[in-house]
Amino acid sequence: MITSDQALVFDIKRFAVHDGSGIRTTVFFKGCPLRCRWCHNPEGLDAQPRPMYLPNRCIHCGCCAKAAEENQLRFEEGTPVLNYDYPGSWDAVIQACPANAIVCDSKWYDRESLMKRIREDRVFFRDSGGVTFSGGEPLLHAAFLKEVMKDCQSEGIHTAVETSLSVPQKSLTAVLPYCDEIFADIKLFESAKHREFTGVGNEQILANIRVLLSSEKKDAVTIRTPLIPGITADVNNIRRIADYIGRLCPGVKYELLNCNPLAGAKYAMSGKRFSLEGKLRRFSEEEMDEFCRAAAEGNDIVLIRERKAEER
Amino acid sequence: MNERIEHLKQHMLEEERFASIEQARIITRVYQENESRSIAKKRALSLKASLEEMEITIDPEELIVGNRTKGVRAGVVFPESGCSWIDREFEDLPTRPQDRFQVRGEDIEEFRKNIYPYWKERSMEEGIRREYGEEIRKISRVVKINQTDHAQGHICPDVETWLKKGPAVLRQEAKTHLYLAKGEEREFYECMILVLDGAISFMHRYANMADRMSADYPEHASTLREIAYNCRDLAHRPAQNFREALQSLWFLFVILHMESNASSFSPGRMDRYLYPYYQEDIKRGELTREDALELLECLWLKFNQIVYLRNRNSAKYFAGFPIGFNIAIGGVDDNGEDTCNEVSMLCLQAQEELGLPQPNLSVRLNRNTSHELLQKAIQVVSKGSGMPQFFNDEAIIHSMQEELGVTEKDARNYAIVGCVELTTSGNCLGWSDAAMFNLCKALELALNHGRDEITGEHLCPDFGGLDTYETFEELEEALRKVIDLFMDQMIKAEEVVEKAHQDYLPTAFLSSVVKDCMDRGIDVTKGGAHYNFSGIQIIQAANLADSLEALKKLVYETHEIDRKLLLEALRNDFRGYEVLQARLLNKAPKYGNDIAEVDSLAAKYAEYFRSRLAGYTNYRGGKYHTGMYTVSAHVPMGENVGASPDGRNAGTPLADGGMSPSYGRDLAGPTAVLKSVSRLPEELTTNGGLLNMKFLPEFFASEEGRQKFEDFLRAFVDLKIPHIQFNVVRREDLENAKLHPEQYRSLTVRVAGYTAYFVELDGKLQDEIIERTGYDHI
Repeated sequence: MITSDQALVFDIKRFAVHDGSGIRTTVFFKGCPLRCRWCHNPEGLDAQPRPMYLPNRCIHCGCCAKAAEENQLRFEEGTPVLNYDYPGSWDAVIQACPANAIVCDSKWYDRESLMKRIREDRVFFRDSGGVTFSGGEPLLHAAFLKEVMKDCQSEGIHTAVETSLSVPQKSLTAVLPYCDEIFADIKLFESAKHREFTGVGNEQILANIRVLLSSEKKDAVTIRTPLIPGITADVNNIRRIADYIGRLCPGVKYELLNCNPLAGAKYAMSGKRFSLEGKLRRFSEEEMDEFCRAAAEGNDIVLIRERKAEER
Repeated sequence: MNERIEHLKQHMLEEERFASIEQARIITRVYQENESRSIAKKRALSLKASLEEMEITIDPEELIVGNRTKGVRAGVVFPESGCSWIDREFEDLPTRPQDRFQVRGEDIEEFRKNIYPYWKERSMEEGIRREYGEEIRKISRVVKINQTDHAQGHICPDVETWLKKGPAVLRQEAKTHLYLAKGEEREFYECMILVLDGAISFMHRYANMADRMSADYPEHASTLREIAYNCRDLAHRPAQNFREALQSLWFLFVILHMESNASSFSPGRMDRYLYPYYQEDIKRGELTREDALELLECLWLKFNQIVYLRNRNSAKYFAGFPIGFNIAIGGVDDNGEDTCNEVSMLCLQAQEELGLPQPNLSVRLNRNTSHELLQKAIQVVSKGSGMPQFFNDEAIIHSMQEELGVTEKDARNYAIVGCVELTTSGNCLGWSDAAMFNLCKALELALNHGRDEITGEHLCPDFGGLDTYETFEELEEALRKVIDLFMDQMIKAEEVVEKAHQDYLPTAFLSSVVKDCMDRGIDVTKGGAHYNFSGIQIIQAANLADSLEALKKLVYETHEIDRKLLLEALRNDFRGYEVLQARLLNKAPKYGNDIAEVDSLAAKYAEYFRSRLAGYTNYRGGKYHTGMYTVSAHVPMGENVGASPDGRNAGTPLADGGMSPSYGRDLAGPTAVLKSVSRLPEELTTNGGLLNMKFLPEFFASEEGRQKFEDFLRAFVDLKIPHIQFNVVRREDLENAKLHPEQYRSLTVRVAGYTAYFVELDGKLQDEIIERTGYDHI
């Protein structure tokens, strides 16, 4: 249910220091049009609230089983096995669990309640920090987001958006005037491949890139490509992306994100399987050099190499 | 760190640490020879004798000389304040769990034969025990009364005046006062003259030794001769340059420790009073920045050569020999303008290079603290020594003025003593470690009909129990009754203890360097200082708030938990009630997560305690006030508290720090912790507050990370939190977190494109993260 009154948020991370400048609060919206095989936030995919099971918290008391309806969960060898497709309410089970091992993966926020959360760390934002809207896909909630970002702007809170751009153009143009910084992905240049690995083609994305890079916010844009072995991490792919954006907007910022082999860590909690399990690895400095060369050679872009200290 | 410093550091750390009875022998002899004289006179004569007779030594490479014993880091047996524990624990010193010392068999024998028998009935400790021991014991499970067997310390002497006058001028002033003095005052000045004579002799002895050694160590002859000149000059005139100022300062602190054997005398705002000497020497071309750093590092090593011998139990409360040479750099000047100079930066550099436990380096922050000082301080923090710690002018100055009636000028010139205790500079006896009041134990008694859950003993009248309170308000009322009762008894005990210090431990030398004592002719223990406070610590707001919130919400609001059942669970330390315990832990909000409802409960009871305490006047006529810090006392204090409604098991530690949330219960990140702590009004911590935080080393790895850290600290200033200190998470911490997840629930790590709670990760993942956490990239 996507409305302008409220939005489903699967996490609000305060003191986010890896998502842009300064100390930030990152709001993760639930629901995503893409199904990237390497996605590290699987709970952000569906647009509905879902139960989540955190095994390390579980004290194996069986309270959940007593509160559950038929077909909702099985209690096997002291451990609950959730039926994630159960259509009814999970409230009773979640309430019954004394250890918060079974929780709901998300929460509804209206404009004011979200602003309240954003303001909590106002004092820490100083000159450079602020709020980052991420997901999932934040622009799926464009009407809602626009209102929240208006409030941020009027209160002087710096705003950043992390988007896949796989949304209608009007969603982008609705929020664009209120963005101080935009991070947009181009994962694969070839549409067929894009469809194969993310579930959708990239025509819409590239069309939005053209809008973005010809808008007055073009200087606030960073285009990013996550480097996934055997999928996006291919010099041809990188060269073509860099060439494309460099022509559209000379001097555009382009960032290559090294692969993180731990991306599959959260799948089990949501009852999902990570299809790239064991297939991810971090690229060496030399390999990264090569990708960077492919991006920079002959292209009019400003390359941002991922900061070394961080583990993305 | 140059070669000289490297050598000196190595010598110091290699030397074995012994318990020393040398001064005890001298003191005992002087007391025996002067039986007919007053205690004040005996004390002064025995300090003078110690200064004249104690063996001394100089390392030929030293630039700053002086120590209170021949060996470095010796544990000095000090009989006047109390030594019954030494009699009991002497043999265990080399093997006890915390803060060990080697002992010599012949010392034990001499102590038992000649020293202890004399003091057994004459020490302060014994005096207090005779007069009030039983009463102090009776309340001890709720209130720990401190300073019953040692001198108080925790004083920032007037170093500036000492540097400008030195012992000879102070002695002259005392003589002038003596000329006009009458009665008791006469003895005060006579004693002062005696100890200053001792100080002068002490300096001469070092001069003579350095002279003698210059012949034996030709390669060090020139520096030894310079030491000799300096020491001789300082004996009769004030310090005239940077090097002399440091030497003079060190003599002051050595002698203070020889007189009192107390924990913590603070150099205070060293960058301010040393800067004129530094500036002048640089201007005249007599000193380079490198020279100054070397000299400061020599002094830094000296700060590590005096440790404090505590008894086994006290070592548990204050582990790791904290002696509290606390230096406060930065902060505002008399006009409220930020002050930071080259000496401030050198202090940080010395700390960074040496990485030793002393001095306890503090940086005072305010809205206008310079980017340079802050970034340098952050760089030192990133080395992981936990220093410097940060204090907040914006919180402290105002509350000192408002709550304690300190003048604006004195409040702006505050310094730190001990660990985090606040004081004015050079004119205050703050008695900051008067007592620790365990509010969590008070709650236990209120829930349990006055009965101690651990011993079964009845410690106070039965005001009711969780099974009888029909409403949360009834419970709160009983809690207040328990607090009131023990508070009144605490005050009575405090008066006995403070009086005992006046009777047994008058301190003439200290009185010569604490403002107003000389002019008023009153010893500092008797209230001669300009300011006279007594500080009581509130233990422990986090656990109390979490417990009350769980009771309020789960028992009295939603009725999810039955009162009688909970009482049963608490009495059984949750054995057989694990589900209920999990519910208490997880289903009620906890302090430290930026949730106003529970944070305000912490503030409410701390404030109740503070305002009631403010109604009392201490034995020296000054104010009582509160602090929120525990050092390491949250462990023994916790051992003494049964299972609590916050889901904490019996005997386990309380929250650490003093303002910090309970272990692993702050799940909303460091900004939320700061917001919660900021809900404790500043006036609760005029005696000092303590907030501990942990950060991963990767955070400090990049310039961007360090800039974000600066943003964090500037927000800390705006939030008016009095204190914060940082530990850098090490590999060992993560390994520990794997083994004891319950203590590390709030530890977050960057996993992939997101941050997660470390303890909730799969074991293999945890291993990978442990693998990548190191200091390589710093």
